[in-house]
Amino acid sequence: MAEGGHYYSEHDDRTAPFRNSKGRGAHKGRGFDRSRRDRQRGNHAGGFGGPGNRGRLKDTDGDVAMSDGSQDSRSQHRFNPYVPPFRKGDGRFDRDRRQGRGAGNGRGGFRGDRNMNSRSGWYKVTVPHGKKYDKKWLVTALQNICSVSYTPVHYHVDHNRVHFFVDDSAAANALHKCSHKITDSDGFKVEVHVNPSAPPSFLQSDLKPEHLEHLKQCMAKRFDGSQQALDLNNIRTDPDLVSQNIDIILNRKTNMEAVIKIIEKYIPELTCLNLSNNRIHKLDELADLVTKVPNLKTLNLSSNELKSDRELDKLKGWKLVELWLNRNPLCELFKDQAAYISAVRQRFPRLLKLDGHDLPPPIGFDVETPTTIPPCKGSCFGTDEIKALILRFLQQYYSIYDSGNRQPLLDAYHDGASLSLTTPYSTQNPSRSSLGEYYKDSRNLKRIKDSTMRFRLLKHTRLNVVAFLNELPKTQHDIASFTIDVNTYTNTLLSFTVSGVFKEVVVDGKSRESTMAFSRVFITVPAGNSGLCIVNDQLFIRMATTEEIRRAFVAPAPTPSSSPVPTLTAPQQEMLTAFSLKSGMNLEWSQKCLQDNEWDFNRAAQIFTQLKTEGKIPDVAFVK
Amino acid sequence: MAATLDFRTHADQSCRYSEEFVSIYYDCMDKKRRNLTRLYLDKATLVWNGNAVSGLDALGEFFESLPSSEFQVQTLDCQPVHEQATQGQTTLLVVTGGTVKFEGNKQRFFNQNFLLTAQATPNNDQPVWKIASDCFRFQDWNS
Repeated sequence: MAEGGHYYSEHDDRTAPFRNSKGRGAHKGRGFDRSRRDRQRGNHAGGFGGPGNRGRLKDTDGDVAMSDGSQDSRSQHRFNPYVPPFRKGDGRFDRDRRQGRGAGNGRGGFRGDRNMNSRSGWYKVTVPHGKKYDKKWLVTALQNICSVSYTPVHYHVDHNRVHFFVDDSAAANALHKCSHKITDSDGFKVEVHVNPSAPPSFLQSDLKPEHLEHLKQCMAKRFDGSQQALDLNNIRTDPDLVSQNIDIILNRKTNMEAVIKIIEKYIPELTCLNLSNNRIHKLDELADLVTKVPNLKTLNLSSNELKSDRELDKLKGWKLVELWLNRNPLCELFKDQAAYISAVRQRFPRLLKLDGHDLPPPIGFDVETPTTIPPCKGSCFGTDEIKALILRFLQQYYSIYDSGNRQPLLDAYHDGASLSLTTPYSTQNPSRSSLGEYYKDSRNLKRIKDSTMRFRLLKHTRLNVVAFLNELPKTQHDIASFTIDVNTYTNTLLSFTVSGVFKEVVVDGKSRESTMAFSRVFITVPAGNSGLCIVNDQLFIRMATTEEIRRAFVAPAPTPSSSPVPTLTAPQQEMLTAFSLKSGMNLEWSQKCLQDNEWDFNRAAQIFTQLKTEGKIPDVAFVK
Repeated sequence: MAATLDFRTHADQSCRYSEEFVSIYYDCMDKKRRNLTRLYLDKATLVWNGNAVSGLDALGEFFESLPSSEFQVQTLDCQPVHEQATQGQTTLLVVTGGTVKFEGNKQRFFNQNFLLTAQATPNNDQPVWKIASDCFRFQDWNS
C-alpha cells in the first residue's frame, strides 16, 4: 500500500466504509450495530466519506489522477491527440510494454496463476490459414524463433484461421516479430498477427460476493470525497485487488456492471470519473450511469480501446465539461482537429476541455431550465404534538386492522364516513397477481365511467366501511416502513397521508404471502380523549417493488402489547430503563439498541446519538 | 345549500369535478406552470416528497424550481369530504396516481392527493374550486 493513512481505528465514524445512501436501511436492516459490523468485516479501507483520502499507487503506469486538474507534462508529450496517435506497427505495443512492467518475469503465460493475468493484458494471436498446420508443429516452430517463451491459451481454429491467446506483452511483442519468419512445407511464409484483446471469454466469470466487497473497499480508497472524484485508472493492477487474486477488467460486462452498481449506490453525487487504462471498448454498461450519476462533469476515458466516436452517443445525457479521449483508436479516425472537436462536441455541447485542451466556450440560448428536483425527505408532521397524535392513532388502528377481526374499527370511523380504494391499472390479468383481491373494488375513475358503478364502489357510512374492510385479505403492516405527511391541520380537521408496506397473511395455506405497498389518505375530526375519528379514507394499493420487499419487516414490528423480554438480568433491566429514559426511545427499541451494542451503555448511546442526528431512527421508536 | 342534496348526487358531482380538475391541474403543471398557483388558496400548503411549502409566493417559487414535467395520470379517485371536518364548506378529496417524467430525471411513479374547497370569488358569480392542500410523493422516494 502506498500509505497507511486510510487505516482507521474501528471506532472512528469514518469506518463506515460507505455512507448508507438509503436512509432507512440503517435502522431497519442493521439496527444499531454499525460499529460491530465493521469490526467483523475487518474493515481496513477508508470510506467514500473521507475527503482527501487517496492512498493509491500514484504511478502504476505513469498516468495522472484526473482530479488533479491537469495532466502533467509527461502525459502531454506522451501523446498529443492532434497528431495521429498510433502508428501501425512499432508504436503499437508501447503502452503494453509499459504496463507489462508489473508482470515481473516477463514470461507470464497462463499457468493457472491468476496473479499474472491480472497484471498484464491479454493478446490474441491469429495465424491466417493456420488450420492446415498441426498444432504441435506450429506452436513449436514459433517457440523456436520467438525470443520470449510463451504458452498459447485457448488454441482454436476458426474457419481457416488459428487463434490463441497470450497474456504477456513481452511474449506478444516477440510473437509479433515472428511473422513471415517460418516457411511451411508448402513454401508459404507463416503470417502471425497479434492484437491486444479482451481476456478469453472462458476466463470471464461473475465476481464473487467477497470479491465485490474488496472491489468496494478498493473503490472507496480511490474515491476523493472532497472532489467527488473516483479514480479507477488501471484498476486491474491495484495492489489491493491483485493481492487478493481479483481480476477487475472493465471491458467485461459483469465487472463494469459491478463497478457501476457500487457507484450508483454509494456515490451518486460523483462529478469526476477516471476510467483511463482499462481496455474499455464499448460504453454500453457505462451508459447506465448517465441517469444514475447525473452530476458527472469530468470523464477520463483515455488509453482505452474505443474504436468509434459513435460509442459516445451512449453517454449523451451527461453534461460533461471535461473529457479525455486521447489514446483511443477512435482518435485516428478524424482528418483534423476540427473534425474531432466537432464530433465530440456534438455529443457534449457544454464541453470546455478536451484531452486537456481548452475549447472555445459554447454559446447557447437563454432557455435554461432546471433539471434537479428537490431532495426527497421523510415524514412531514409539522409539529411534535400532531406527530404523537397520529402515531398513537396509527398504532391503535393497525393493531386492530392486522388482528384478524376488523369489527372494532367501528370505533375509529364517523357515522357518515366514506372509504374507497384504488389499485393501479395493469395490463396484466389482475386476477393473476395478488392485487386481484383489491382490483375488483378499485374505484379508478379513469377506467370506471358508469355512475352507478362509481357510486357502488364508494363505501359510505360507518357500517358499510367496516363491513368492507372486514372482507379485505388479512394483513400485517410494517409500521416501521410508514411515511406520514400531514396535509392539513385545523381545529376541526386533521388530514394526513400514510404510505408504507404490508403483507398479506397466509390463511389456511391457500394464498401466497405477498408484500404490497400502500398510500392512504385519512381525513379525521377530533374525537374525545384527544383521539381521532375518520370521516374520509382513501386507500391506494399496489404491488411492492423488489427493493421495498427486501427492506420490509426487517425491524421487529413493534406492537403496542409487546413488553420487554423478561429474560433480562437485573443490571440489564436497570440499564434498559436508564437508556430508555435518556434516549426517549421506548423500551423495545432501547433494548434493541443495547443488545446490538452488547450492553455497552456508552457505545449504545454514541450510536444512538449518531443515528438520531442522521435521522435514521424511525418515529415508532419513540412511541411509548 | 348542498346539505339538501343527497350523498349520491354529491358523489356523482364530485366525480365530474375531480375529472375536470385533474385535466386542468396537470395540463397547467406540464404546460402552463406559471398559472399553476392560481389554482391554490392563498394559504394553501403543499407537502412535496416531505418538503413543506405554504403560501402562494413560496408555492410559485417552488413550482418554478421544478424541471419541466410530463405527467400521466393513471388512477383517479375522489370523495366528498364530510362536512363536519370542513365546517360546512364544500370540500373534495381528490386522489391521483401515475407516472411523471421531470426533465433530466428518470420517469417515476407518484401518488398525489388534494383537498379542494369551493370559494366565492369577487370576479365570478359562481364559486370556484381552490386547492387547500396538496400532498405529493414518488412511490420510490426513498430507494
